[in-house]
This record gives sequence, structure tokens and C-alpha cells, in this order.
Amino acid sequence: MAVDAPVLARWWSPGEGTQLPAYATYPNAWGELGILNTGGPVETKGHPFFEPIGQNGRACVSCHQPANGMSISVAAIQERWQVTKGKDPIFAAVDGMNCPDLPPDDPKSHSLLLERGLFRVFMPWPPVRDDGRPVEPEFTIEVVRDPGGCNVSPRYGLSSPTPTVSVYRRPRVVANTKYFTHQGFGVSAFVGKGPIATARDPETGRPTAMNMMADARVSTLKAQAVSAAQTHLQMAGAFDAAKLQKIVEFEGQVYSAQASHRTAGSLMEPNGPPGLGVRNVANESAGVLGNNTTQWVFPVGEVWKALPAGAAPREAERNRMRESIARGHDVFMFRTFWIKDVQHLNTVGLGNPTKRTCSTCHGMHMTGMDVANGWMDLGVTNLPWAREEPLNPWNERKPQMPLFKITCKATAPPHAYLGRVIYTQDPGRALVSGRCADVGSIVMQQFRGLAARAPYFSNGSAQTLRDLVDFYDRRFNIGYTSQEREDLINFLSAL
Amino acid sequence: MNIRMRRPAVAVVALLATVSTSAAPELHRNFVTCPIVRDTSTVPCWLAEYKGELYFLTLQTDVSAPVNPPQLGHQVLVEGVVSNEPRICGGIVLKPVALSVLPELDNSCSTVLPAEDRYNLTFEPPRPPGPSKGRLAFAADPAAPRPVVAAEAGPRTFAIQFDFDTSILFRHAGQLQQIQEFALKSKATRIEITAYRAASLLSDDTLFTEREDIGKRRAEHVASLLKDAGLTGPTYDVRWQDAPRPDGVNDARLRRAEVTVR
Repeated sequence: MAVDAPVLARWWSPGEGTQLPAYATYPNAWGELGILNTGGPVETKGHPFFEPIGQNGRACVSCHQPANGMSISVAAIQERWQVTKGKDPIFAAVDGMNCPDLPPDDPKSHSLLLERGLFRVFMPWPPVRDDGRPVEPEFTIEVVRDPGGCNVSPRYGLSSPTPTVSVYRRPRVVANTKYFTHQGFGVSAFVGKGPIATARDPETGRPTAMNMMADARVSTLKAQAVSAAQTHLQMAGAFDAAKLQKIVEFEGQVYSAQASHRTAGSLMEPNGPPGLGVRNVANESAGVLGNNTTQWVFPVGEVWKALPAGAAPREAERNRMRESIARGHDVFMFRTFWIKDVQHLNTVGLGNPTKRTCSTCHGMHMTGMDVANGWMDLGVTNLPWAREEPLNPWNERKPQMPLFKITCKATAPPHAYLGRVIYTQDPGRALVSGRCADVGSIVMQQFRGLAARAPYFSNGSAQTLRDLVDFYDRRFNIGYTSQEREDLINFLSAL
Repeated sequence: MNIRMRRPAVAVVALLATVSTSAAPELHRNFVTCPIVRDTSTVPCWLAEYKGELYFLTLQTDVSAPVNPPQLGHQVLVEGVVSNEPRICGGIVLKPVALSVLPELDNSCSTVLPAEDRYNLTFEPPRPPGPSKGRLAFAADPAAPRPVVAAEAGPRTFAIQFDFDTSILFRHAGQLQQIQEFALKSKATRIEITAYRAASLLSDDTLFTEREDIGKRRAEHVASLLKDAGLTGPTYDVRWQDAPRPDGVNDARLRRAEVTVR
């Protein structure tokens, strides 16, 4: 199949007031995505997820579009720029520009959003705990380069009156939320990574899965909604409790997964693979470790293995693709390679390196996240593995991402594999914990609806599924065959 | 909350780095070296060389393993006993063995040996290199009778063992939870924490000593984690001191904290 060229789909504008059906499909380059509301049709008129609730005209739906798997694709962002000439609320200065002090009508001011789908996330430095107490960081942070200028801005930067670190991240998926808010396997009072006491739900006092945001800075749907409203939506004042509850209820019943594949056909046939399709995602159990041959991460089963050749050419092509998807699943589940130098994976009892498979890290049943508190340094944002522009006289492209130098204090436990001096595009979890060992650790994203929401990784560094697979191939010297690579991409496109 | 922190006036033993002293008992092997990975047709073995001999440390299994593999990129402190088991992956089996990954990077520790038929395992490993068959390698059998729950009335003392020069690590989460649950159930009013800094007597007579402040770090770390987990009611008595002189036999056990919940 060709590279995942974008297919532009339904854009949901804040406050448009139309009904979100109980089940709807949206086209993408690989087929169609299914959005299922298990609570039935959603009346969006007056609904706080769909109405502007802040000062910049955005609603939650602005960056969590049904057609984009409840995230937002860079293709959709580019389309909005064209259609609205940059006036859509997603381009708001607060985080839709590389820095609020840039000229708003210049696409260069929005380059990270327009080219990589990244919004600015601004974090206080040093970090502050939930209870308002400051965190004493184990490291110092310097700006090595910042093409967007925000980290060196006298108003918004590290040396401003309110020292702030700006990093740039993809919006997370607001769907299938039971899987990252579960109380099952791996959720307990203490997190081995860190180690820290697990963040607790202030309402229930129970430990949380800490798997929601890229840096796990908040871990309940309510806390996330409040945080997003206050920052990304620029909401002033307190959140109305009833509206907050309505947002959380919506997020608890909306599911997203690829529903059909343009070559493999329906992913939701009654006798099809039990791990595919949005209804199966809605019906399966949360909080289950799937890195085993009893629960499976993505149960695909045997039904798409050894299919008949097919009488008609279209049927033959369909069956070949289904077999490829099934083989791709087996690559994901059983193809071993040396997983090496991953802070919070190799350091948590597995040894370095460990001969394992994709499903070792991506072990949560039905989503492929880590089952709980899933932050790791896979190398997505830390050098030497993060994607950087080759600098030479023949390359006109310039670095897009900021680059920070982290210097860990001698008294602190170092990053296990990068030591005490680390160069990173995004310190990730360390901007919350202040820990040297957390630099570059990012909470893994779920695999559902990948076909609808490119680019991938927290910093948007993989434009396509092939880029995503190639990153891992390069990172871990896997040496996929072309067949393995193709099968794995097809499998990912069907999730 | 009342927290008292104090350092004892008299250390049990003055611990000095690289002090030559008496030899370790004959079957004990205590040494610091780079670990070695040897691939096999199933899971890799972890090995280490000492004085021209190759020792088997452990196999790759999963997070439930009682002995976790060491790490390339780091030296490892090996504290083990030569067993009479057949060699595994070409190495003399150290059992029991304690492995401490030393925190600082050492990029010279990078040896990965390829699989060779003569070193393939002669038994099925506790866990294959890919997904498990349904439960963690060393998890309790779900059909086994549940362990008897200890009396919920205090006081009760918990021992936490540490790796060399480190404080709380990933594998302590379960122990900390036990302490937390006991404290909650017993309505604890006081938690006493005493953590130790220790040394290991290496087989070449070197006294390998932990960093000066590690006892304090351990004690304070345990206390802060328990408080962060919601145990803010009890009074905390947090102490640290140096452990007794190591004898080359039970040195790993000296690196510990004792937490008494009253």
C-alpha cells in the first residue's frame, strides 16, 4: 500500500451544535475510522466538550476531533490553515504558535503545529507539585537552541519573571479512556519507576494508572479537563462542576479504532479477529496485561491466517492483506530483538539489554500502552536517537525543535544510559518530577486509530507509520526484512 | 506530624574504601566487574569473569525474578556462592547470588556474545524471550493457598534490602505497599526507620564501601515515600547509621533498612 497520504475528513467546529451519532465512520488513508459512543448519540449543542469554554474560541473538540481518532492530524491542521487563513482557534497564540510573541499571521510562527502537529506545552521551572510545594530539581537546564524562540523569550522563557520551559507535543487521544484510567494490573500505591508514591485521585484517594498524559502530570479525567481548559482553552475562573462531569462522562464512553481497511475490508465482522474494530475495543476488559498468549495485547487469533486464495482478484487482494495484518501481529508479538538502553524498561528488572519483542513495552491489552505508569525513554526526544536535521551545506532545512542541555547534579542518581549530561528536545517526565533519571521519558500513546492521526510520537517526529517502524528499526538495530516491515505497518494501520 | 531525624553519635564501624583485610570464605565470590551477555536459542544468559573463570549469574526472565539481570553500560557488584550445579552457558553457577548494578555509566561494559550450540540451555527457561504463557515467571500459582495474613496489631518490623550504593528501586514497590497496608490496617501511630550504609568485603580483600550519605538517603527516601502515599498520620523516627563490618559472607544483607510500624 502507498504511503499514508492524508484524506481530509469531517472537521468538527466548536459550538456547531450538530449531533454526534452513536456510531460514525470517518475516512482516512487506510480506510475508515469508527467512533462509537456507547452512551448513544451525543447532543453537542451546549455540551462543554463541544462548546467554546475559554477565551480563545476553542473547545475540547478542537484538538480532539472524531475524524482524527479523538486527536488531531497534521493534515487536518494544514487544511484548517488553508480554509480559515490561519484564523481557526487551534492557531491561538497561547500554544498554537511556537511562541505567543511571534507575528500571528505568519505561518512560520506556527511551524511546529503546521509541520508536525505540535502544540506548545509550557511548564513552570522549577517544577511545582500538586500541593503547590516546589520540587527541587536534580538537574540544571540550559537552552542550546530554540528555533521558535520561546525558551529564550524575555517574557515567556527560562529567564522570564515566571521561568517557564516550553516543549512541543502532540495532543493525546481522548477515547478508549477506560484503558488508561483503569484500576487493574500494575496500579498500586507505589510506582517502581522513580520510585515514587503513585498519584492518587483526590476524590477517591485511590492510586491512579498515571498513563494519561505524555508526562503523567495529571492522572484523572477531571484533572486533565481542568488543566487543559485553563491552559489550552484559556478558560478564566473555576470550572462549573456539572460541565466538568459532563465532559468526563463523554470521555468515558467514546471509543475509537479503525473500522475498515481499504484493502482488507471490514475490521468489524462478527467472526473476525476479536482484537480489531471499535466495538471490540469498547467491550473488552481494561487493566489487563496482554503480553502473554492467554490475553494477548491485540487478540487477532487464527481467522486471518492461511486464507483461501480467493476467486475474484479483489477477494484475493483482500485475503492477502488480511494475512499480512495477521503476520504483522506476529511480528509485533513474537519477533525478538535486543531492547537496549531504555530508562524505565531495562532498569525495571529486565536487564540491559533484554531480548524481547514490541509487546514487552507495549503490553496493555487492546491498546498497546504500557499497562500502568508507562513513561520510558525510548529515545524519541533524547539525543542521540531523537530525529535531528542533518547539518551540512547541502541541506536547507533547519532544526525545528528546541534542544536543551541537562546537567545532573553529582548527588543525584544519573540517567542509567545517558549519564549526567543529556541533550534533549523535551525532558518529558523530568519536567514534572525533577529527576535526572526521568529526562526524556514519555508516557506511551495508545495504538488505536493510528491511521487517522499522523504524525506519531510525542514530538511528531514520525510522519507516517513507516517512519514509526523505521525509528524502532534504527533505534534497536532490529533488522526487519522488507516483508516484516510491510506486515507490521499493515497491522498498525488496522488498529 | 512530628518527624525526628538524627544521626547516631557513634558509628558501628568506621568504613573506609579499599582497605585490605582478611579473605572471604572459600566458596564466596565477591567482585566488581563488567557483566557479559551470552545469547542462546531462547533467552540470554548473564555471565561475569573473575580471575580467569567464567561465572553464571542469572537468566533473562521477567520483572518477577528474585535476581534481576545486570546492565551493560554499568559494572556490577557480584556477591555469590559457588554452587555444585552444572555449568550454565559455560559459567560456574553462583547461587545464591546478589547483583548490584553500580549507578555510574561505564561504557566499556558492552560485551554481547553470540549464541553457540554448545552453550544452549539444557532446560526450559522460566519464561521465553517473548510473551509469557499467562503469568509472570515467578508469580505465585493462582491455585495455591493464599498466605496467612500476619496479625494486624502492631508492632511489626519490615526489612528492606538494597543494592549497593542505591536507595529504593523498582522492586521495592511491593514491600512498601505491604508496609503501607499494615500501617493503615493497624492504625499505626509511629513509624521507626533505621537505614544502614554498608560495605562488601571483596574476594581480593578489598573493602568496597558505599557512599557516605547512602544511609541517610535510604532512611529519608523510605519516609518520604510512605508519607507521599498518604501515611501522614503517624509520627516518624528516621535514623541512619553504618552497618557492622562485613565478613564476605552475608554482606548484601547489611545493606538494609528496618521499618518498625507501631
